[in-house]
Amino acid sequence: MTEPQPVSSITSPFRMDYTYVAGVGRSVFLRGLAERRLLARRCPSCAQVYLPPPEFCSRCLTELEEPVELSGNGVVSTFCVVNFPFPGQTFEPPYVVAHIQIDGAATRLMHLVREVEPGEVHIGMAVEPVWSTEREASMNSIRHFRPSHA
Amino acid sequence: MGGHVTLSAPYTVEFPFDRTVGPKIGAFLGGLRDGNLYGVRASDGTVLCPALEFDPRTAEETGELVPLGDHGTVRAWTWVPSRAGDAIPHDFAWALIEIDGTTGALFHAVDTGGDMARMVIGMRVSARWRSERVGDIRDIECFEPA
Repeated sequence: MTEPQPVSSITSPFRMDYTYVAGVGRSVFLRGLAERRLLARRCPSCAQVYLPPPEFCSRCLTELEEPVELSGNGVVSTFCVVNFPFPGQTFEPPYVVAHIQIDGAATRLMHLVREVEPGEVHIGMAVEPVWSTEREASMNSIRHFRPSHA
Repeated sequence: MGGHVTLSAPYTVEFPFDRTVGPKIGAFLGGLRDGNLYGVRASDGTVLCPALEFDPRTAEETGELVPLGDHGTVRAWTWVPSRAGDAIPHDFAWALIEIDGTTGALFHAVDTGGDMARMVIGMRVSARWRSERVGDIRDIECFEPA
């Protein structure tokens, strides 16, 4: 038997189209972003403050209080420097993606930290949001965070 | 706050993976490109199709390549609506097909012309090959009633 010439690699693309549904709670947060406001909500039962807030407390399932606007200043609670290029990448590596704890919130946002050398970013660094000129109900409404000048 | 209507937005995730394959699966795919099905010999003497690099029961390397025919038997199936990008333009079945002379099952589409009533466990099917083949499981367009 003559064996077939073996194949060494195959293309195996993965693609999925889907619809993200924000839900009532997240929609409040997203609409706030369109007005350049960071809206947090507090749990009346356990006092946890969420940003972004869902509709109900994930610890005690209580409906959260009315939204409260936070200043937007925060600190880097952890971060990574992205050095790896990948298809569809928006920014040129290296760049910093961080978990940012906004003052007054107990939860963290993930966003870019720019206007600073990646090597100078550190845990505990004070940062502030840089708002986009585009006002949209999306995280893109914040272009990135940068070291706070205050 | 703009009411209690929830926001939604369309998204797409897409990864352009390339996958390298081992010598057995590589030969299996090379066979598809030639328009031929192959299996591999497992340690207990049975033949596995699709080919695997390692015997799923003993974890030993699989043995010789075994040429197979185009025919098989449907062992399980599920009926699905055709979506954009599917090889079959009308509703069809995804099926586990036991190729004659093998154990186990090859997962592939079965085209019954959109008629679910023709699908039955134990039905005989044969491969419908594409005219242009590249060494990919899609070189078999689908299976059809034999």
